[in-house]
Formats: sequence, structure tokens, C-alpha cells
Amino acid sequence: MKRFIQHEELARDSRFTRQTTALSTLIAQLPDDVNAVVEVFEKFAPMIEQSTRGTAAEPLYDAYGPGFGLLTNTQAIRPGDPATPTRMKLRMHGIYVGELQALEGAGRSLWDFPDAPWEFKMNMARQCWDEARHVQIYEKLLEHVGGKPGMFPESTFLFECACSDDPALRVAGVNRGLEGLACDVFRDLIKYADEVGDEKMKQAVDYVLADELTHVRFGSDWVREFCKNDPERLKRANEFRKQVDKQFNFGGARSARSDAAIRIAFEDRREAGFTEEELNELVELCGEGPSRETMREAARILRERHHAKKAAAGAQS
Amino acid sequence: MYPGFGPNERTTFAPYGAFEVPADLRELSGRYDVEATARRVRNFRYAEEWTMMLLGGWIATIPEVPVKTGLGKITWDCAVTADALGKRLPELRCGRKAAEASESANDGFAKFIQALAEPETPDLTIEKLAGVFDVLKPHLIAVYERTMRETDQISDAPTIELLEDAVRKTRKHIAWADEVLERLCDTDGKRERRRRRVAALRAQLEACGGVTGTLADETGRAN
Repeated sequence: MKRFIQHEELARDSRFTRQTTALSTLIAQLPDDVNAVVEVFEKFAPMIEQSTRGTAAEPLYDAYGPGFGLLTNTQAIRPGDPATPTRMKLRMHGIYVGELQALEGAGRSLWDFPDAPWEFKMNMARQCWDEARHVQIYEKLLEHVGGKPGMFPESTFLFECACSDDPALRVAGVNRGLEGLACDVFRDLIKYADEVGDEKMKQAVDYVLADELTHVRFGSDWVREFCKNDPERLKRANEFRKQVDKQFNFGGARSARSDAAIRIAFEDRREAGFTEEELNELVELCGEGPSRETMREAARILRERHHAKKAAAGAQS
Repeated sequence: MYPGFGPNERTTFAPYGAFEVPADLRELSGRYDVEATARRVRNFRYAEEWTMMLLGGWIATIPEVPVKTGLGKITWDCAVTADALGKRLPELRCGRKAAEASESANDGFAKFIQALAEPETPDLTIEKLAGVFDVLKPHLIAVYERTMRETDQISDAPTIELLEDAVRKTRKHIAWADEVLERLCDTDGKRERRRRRVAALRAQLEACGGVTGTLADETGRAN
């Protein structure tokens, strides 16, 4: 078995379809400009449409056009909102495939770095079990909210942008970037479950969050250990983590704002070992790129153009 | 209350040993001395560590989600076993830093592990699982149990205890994989793939003398 695989090589059964990861990468690099966002989504529209075919996202594409993801990503999940059931399924499905990729990332860290210290291997092996349980937990939670695995297309960009060939960068990306994001998303989910009185969801996600804090600590410890006496490597690891964090902002969906779609879980992150300096950097990073208002406006334009195209096509036929 | 130094200064307590109820039938003898046990423990650790690493690597390349999650747990179990084996090494006079020492018995076993790790693509779940769970793990159980029987039951009891735990977990792993393989091998062609893979790897394992490299001296067979 070779070492270092590409995200395209992640094996899935016939229930799953893939979504291009290029779009996620592009969103992270976009300026705060409505036209630029619209242009990118229109360019990727055929690919987005293709990946939604035969999935539960197909009606969403039909209703909102290629920017349907912008609407779901930039809105917080609130009890009583008519869009919440769909958003919840999308969110749960995103977490489920994210956990799958985290499991795969932890497993690959064992195979890709055979000469790593034993304690590192122990931590990664433990993470394999934890992530495996998380996959099982989120499969059940996905069913709990009326969804099922493979109902939406999967973007493997979490694995793509977190899995570096350098173990120091790998743990910075997977254990601090990806798992840090998990802390934010899960704290948000616990709050929602608490608001709607869903004890099953609240307890399960709370356990998962406890595991994620442990994984972030693994990351914090190993970045320090791998970069000991190597300030250049430490700098690269920190830069890599920032780059991953930027991509995981989902175009402004995550921020420190109280009405953010995904709020930064400051307390959990502190407990996991993020420093105040790192948290300030994250807040700053969240402010870069397209704002939520920009994304919403872009989504509106994309929807209008999508319906205009459909109407024109209908008139022709 | 307490005995003194002279012959007349004994206590009045009747001689009573916990080991006499029931009688301790164990004998102070075993097939392996400290050095031989340490070598075996290093060999076992090599097998467990590499199994952990290759199962971890395979998770991403296997399409069946329940197999991915099942392997996640087994990866951890193998790590725990390798860790326990490693912690036994300094106790066997291998030095404080020996806890991370894994050693293949010979080149043949190292090549066997490489052969085990060869299947890569998503269509080879049968070959991946058959190698580890039909060949290596049953072999490890056989060797662990033989070691538990033949080592000094009193002096080497810590090794016996950790192998007991390894055997218990490994049996669960094999039962799980057998169920998975039974489901995956739903045609004659697939059952034949499993059989061929097992036959080829078992021959290679026997040829190299197994995990300890000494099968010919001990049993003459891999399982």
C-alpha cells in the first residue's frame, strides 16, 4: 500500500456522490464582492448541478440554483424556522462525512508516518476509534433528523486541505484546524438541541465534543513536539493551520458574531489548548473574504438568474 | 504478635498459605528464559504494531462504512496490545527505552507483513480482511496461547496476563471479520478469492516460521 493518498482516492460505497472541492477552495480566496462570488458559482454551476443529481440536494438546486449552499451555510439553524429541517439534514450530513474523513485522516497518519514516535501512533490509533464512534453516532443522528448517508453530495475538501505530507502540518491541519472546527459546530448543535429539548442529540454531541477537545490537545502537543528546536517548521505549521482555518470558514459562515451560522466556541477551544493569540487570529481570519451579506446577495442573484434561465428554456421548448 | 530472632520466639499462628487453598499445582519451569521471552514479546509487538498501522491505512481505501468503523476500533485494540507488550520489555531486562522496540523475527516475517499490506484499491476488501483476520490473527492466537501454556506460570505471569487480554480481543476481531467476509463473499468467485488469498499468505507465513520464526521447532504448522 502506498503512502500519501489524494482525497479523490477516499473509498465510498454506491450511496455516495462527490462534489467538487475546487469551489470550497475558491470561496476561501474570494474577495468581499458579490459579483466575484456570483461569477465563481455560475462557472461551477454545471458541476454543482451534476453532483446534486439523484440526491436530496437536487430539489434545492432546482429551487435556488447553484448558490443553494450559500443560503444553507450562512444561516444559523433556529428552532421553528421552516428551513430548519432541511438545513439540519444538510448540517448533519456534512458532519457525518466530515467524521468519515477525520477517521480516514487519523488512520492515514498511522500508515503515512511509520517512523513517528510511539506516543504519536497511540494518539492517532485512539483517534481512529473515537472517529469511528463519531461516524456511528452521526449516522444515527442523521437518521434521527430524517436523513440518511449519501442523501447529499460529499465534498472531500476537509481531507484534501488538512492532510499534509509533513506530520507536523498534518496534526496542525487535522487536529487543530479540522477538530477545532468540530468544536465550533458541535457547541452550536448542543445549543440547538438544548433549545428544542432534544436530549438524545444533546448528550451524544456533548460526548463527541469531549472527544474532539482531546484530539485538539493531541494536535497542540504534537505540533509542539515535532517543531521543537525548529522555528521554521513551527512557522510553516502555524501558517498551514491558518490556511486550513480560512478554508473552514465556509465563506463567512463561521465567525465570532452572535448571529453567525457557526459561532466560534471560544471556551471549548481554550480548554483544548488554543492560545488567546490563536483565537484572535481566528477571529481576524473569519473577517476576511466575503461577508454573510455578500453571500446572501450573491445567493439571491444566483437564484433569480437560475429561474430566468429555466423560464427561458421552458419558453423555447 | 511478631516473631523474634531465636528458635523459641515463634508466633502461635498456624502455617497457612493462600496458595494452599486450593493447592498451587504450578511448577517453577517454563520453556522460555527471560531473554527468550523478551525476544518473543518484541516479535509479538512487531506484528501488533504493523497490523495497527496497516489497518489504519486501509480505512480510507475501504468503501464499506461499517468495515471502516470496525477497523477503527481494531486499530486501537492493536495499539493497546502493542503498548502493553512494549511496557513488558523493560521488565524483561531490555532497558528503560525498550518499551518502543518492535522486532521482526526474520526477513521472511517482515516480507509477510509487506505482502499482507499489498492490497490497496477499494475493490480488494476481501483480500485485505482475509490476510489479517483469516491468516495473521488466528496465527497470533495460536502462538500467544502456546506461549501462555509453555512459559513459566509463576515467574512470567505478567506476560501471560497481557497475552490473555490480547487473545480475548483478537478472538472478537476474528469473529467480526468472519461475519463481514461471509457477507462480502456472496458468490463462488469471491469465496475463491478469499480462499486463494488465505492459501498464499498461510504458505508464506509457514515458510518464514511465523511471528517468532520458530514454528518448525514448535509445531511445524502456522495455525
